[in-house]
Amino acid sequence: MTTQHKSKSLSWKKKFRNRLIEIIGATGVISSDDELIAYECDALTGYRIKPIFVVLPNSAKEVSAVIKECHHENIPFVPRGAGTGLSGGALPTEEGIVISLSRMDKILDVDIPNQRVVVEPGVVNIWVTNAVSSSGYYYAPDPSSQIVCTIGGNVAENSGGVHCLKYGVTTNHVLGVEMVLPDGEIIEVGGKTLDHPGYDLTGLVVGSEGLLGIVTKVTLKIIKKPEDVKTLFASFDHIEDAGASVSGITARGVIPAGMEIMDSFCIRAVEETVGAGYPVDAGAILLVELDGPKAEVEAQMPLVEEVLKEHKANQIKVAKDAKERELFWKGRKSAFPAMGRISSDYYVQDGVIPRSKLAEVLGEIAELSKKYGLRVANVFHAGDGNLHPLVLYDSSKEGDLDKTLELSGEILQVCVDKGGSITGEHGVGHDKKRFLSLMFDENDLDAMNLIRCAFDVKGLCNPGKLFPTPRTCVEPGMKPFEEHPLQKAGLGEMY
Amino acid sequence: MLKKSIINNLHSIVGEENALSDNAKLESFSVDDVLPEIVLSPNNVEQISEIMKVASKESLSVIPWGSGTKSALGNKPDRADIVISTKNLNRILEHGASDLVATTESGVTLKKFQSVLNKENQFLALDPPHVGRKATVGGIIATNDGGPERLRYGTLREFLIGLKVVRADGSVFKGGAKVVKNVAGYDLPKLYVGSLGTLGIIVEATFRLYPVPEYSETYIAGFSTLEDAHDAVMTLLNSDIVITSLEILNPELISFLAKRNDLDLIDNQYTLAIGIKNVEKAVKDQVSTVKTLCDQKGGKGKVISGGQEEKFWDDVRDFPWKLFKTARVVCKASVLITQIPKVLETVKRLSGENGIKTYISARAGNGILIISIKGEVSSMIESLNSLRAFVSSIGGHLILQEAPYEIKAGVSVWGDFGSGLGIMERIKFNFDPDNLLNPGRYIT
Repeated sequence: MTTQHKSKSLSWKKKFRNRLIEIIGATGVISSDDELIAYECDALTGYRIKPIFVVLPNSAKEVSAVIKECHHENIPFVPRGAGTGLSGGALPTEEGIVISLSRMDKILDVDIPNQRVVVEPGVVNIWVTNAVSSSGYYYAPDPSSQIVCTIGGNVAENSGGVHCLKYGVTTNHVLGVEMVLPDGEIIEVGGKTLDHPGYDLTGLVVGSEGLLGIVTKVTLKIIKKPEDVKTLFASFDHIEDAGASVSGITARGVIPAGMEIMDSFCIRAVEETVGAGYPVDAGAILLVELDGPKAEVEAQMPLVEEVLKEHKANQIKVAKDAKERELFWKGRKSAFPAMGRISSDYYVQDGVIPRSKLAEVLGEIAELSKKYGLRVANVFHAGDGNLHPLVLYDSSKEGDLDKTLELSGEILQVCVDKGGSITGEHGVGHDKKRFLSLMFDENDLDAMNLIRCAFDVKGLCNPGKLFPTPRTCVEPGMKPFEEHPLQKAGLGEMY
Repeated sequence: MLKKSIINNLHSIVGEENALSDNAKLESFSVDDVLPEIVLSPNNVEQISEIMKVASKESLSVIPWGSGTKSALGNKPDRADIVISTKNLNRILEHGASDLVATTESGVTLKKFQSVLNKENQFLALDPPHVGRKATVGGIIATNDGGPERLRYGTLREFLIGLKVVRADGSVFKGGAKVVKNVAGYDLPKLYVGSLGTLGIIVEATFRLYPVPEYSETYIAGFSTLEDAHDAVMTLLNSDIVITSLEILNPELISFLAKRNDLDLIDNQYTLAIGIKNVEKAVKDQVSTVKTLCDQKGGKGKVISGGQEEKFWDDVRDFPWKLFKTARVVCKASVLITQIPKVLETVKRLSGENGIKTYISARAGNGILIISIKGEVSSMIESLNSLRAFVSSIGGHLILQEAPYEIKAGVSVWGDFGSGLGIMERIKFNFDPDNLLNPGRYIT
């Protein structure tokens, strides 16, 4: 559904556009309907809103000048990277502009001896590893979209990937940012050195889904490639056994670099698409990658195989070389696109459970699938309990999408009931804000709102996302919880 | 003086047996000689919440207190009405061994927490000082304390995945979750790491854990020059050896440590201590590679393991507190890895110029230097200010971790907070509008 904006007058828009052109230049301001269409949504394509304009700034200064203009005119703004987000974090706001960081795509500093890389937000994730690979280093967070998604977007969403069990997610690899606050001020937090005095603002900004400001520079930590890497897959008749193997492996004191599970749907789809060598008749496969010093990998491999056999693995296949290892991973990484072969449409869910509950949750998802009469394919980062159930549906069939969303919502409820989370890496954004209250009560959400208000009193920066209900900020100088004059007059409500 | 009615009110919340107000006993809860009026040891979260409601209503300042091992960190408090001790929040709530997570109340000591986790062969991958002096989990979070093993595992921000906090107004909230991967809402646990009790009282924390490594060895080698020692560091860091801890110890410190640990080393040299934990074979293989690499730079050393190794690292972590019983001056400098030698040289020069003695353990792979100094007060002040000026000039920071008030009067404790200070102050204001929590000690 596309919503048309209405209230701003044409003459105001003309004036505002001229101001933006003064700041960035005519080629940096997109205002024609044809071109704006591309910015109506991110990878969550079910929701679309056309922004008034899209701007493409070239520097922090330009971002700041644009934001000052928005702040002055009370115009909401939404930051955007490559638009690969799956929760609608870059969905435009009605009557707002989109600030695309795609032109700020320079790697500013590669400092191998100090293990740091400083980049602009529009730099694509994989470029970082490419820039340091010849020196034996890499940038660890590797979301599936890493060949297109940008570091700025990764920072906003605190993106994960298939290796975060051992190496952590984006927040564990970002040491500092330069950012433009929602009033236009440019600040620097953290940096190439560690342990800056003051609160950990870097830690707050990473994963804040673009609600606290716009990041214009990011300092990343790079790490040394491991001496040895071994990848295997094991096939099982029952996915529950694959699930139980996962906690069995960590219980033996082994933390693999990654552990991924795919169910029979995925295996067949993937085999038809890329031919990764998975057995097509298996109920599930578990992919395990060990890395580290050669002696460590060699010592842990037999432990892993033992656990797999204990859990009735049929076939265990260890990749014999780098080429085969890549093929194993290619299968996993193409699981989403391969679904297109099985179903015309699918909805990707993202929930987290304690990994010890994998087997029982998979059973419950199967029950839900039966209840709704919709197929659910399971592919997930099993090591950290991050599920990605894919609900398969047919958009041409009346009511199918509604059922899909309802089923996906029930899966989240199961995750929370097991002590988990409604999102492990895709973010809350627009899509999941109504589910945030499953995890957090009013006091918890209040605390989050106090953070947002410290950064953005006017609520102009990516508004309408993350929080289940719109929340206002108390004005500076006024005590929180003191009644606002509008409240006293019965004209407004404080959330 | 607190009004009698307020004292009665506080007594009725925690019970008289959990309140202290006679001066002799209050002495051990003083911060920079500021004495609280009353020390309360509530039994549960609800009681802390009730205390904060009273404090908030009566505008009473509150100092959260674990075991007080880091009470010398921060500026002198503006006021101190109530100390809230977390000593009765001493329950470990949950250890999900197969999920490698555990939840505990904040007053639990790290020592007790680790001993429970160790039963399942797991641990919280944190090796801060003061563990023997009963440092609590809550205090360690509030001060973001850590040790040499941060090279391998990182700092608390990497492990603290969930927490529960009582805010200044008495409301209780939780942040994060009990699963290792979670991006729902803002990452509030990170905000509380190192917030020094200024944003609320941490009452519960959930951590991700690691399996205890099977085996450990440490190679200790002295080098004839600092340059050689640092060359070895850079070679080690650029290799694929997975090092757990890597410290450069200055000659003053290694002579102290050598004596205490029967190390039989040439003790007037810059010395590297390289700790490796892994499966036994991986440790042996890697230590042998480490030795070869050090040999190439002229390093002469020995391998230690077992009890001797444990005691050695215990000494490294706690050296300022083992060296000096009172009037300790400890600071932490953070710079780029490649700039550590410059800092060490600057310290050496300043020590000579100002006639002070300096002991340093530098986390060589993180760019962190723990520096403890001894000398005339005025000389120490001058040295610290000069050192900070130098460290700032190369883009680093210097924080006073512990010092008597007379030093703090001449050296800023925190230094420059940078351009984020405005936001930090707004966060503090939003969470604690009346500035009741640890007023003046940190962000105000």
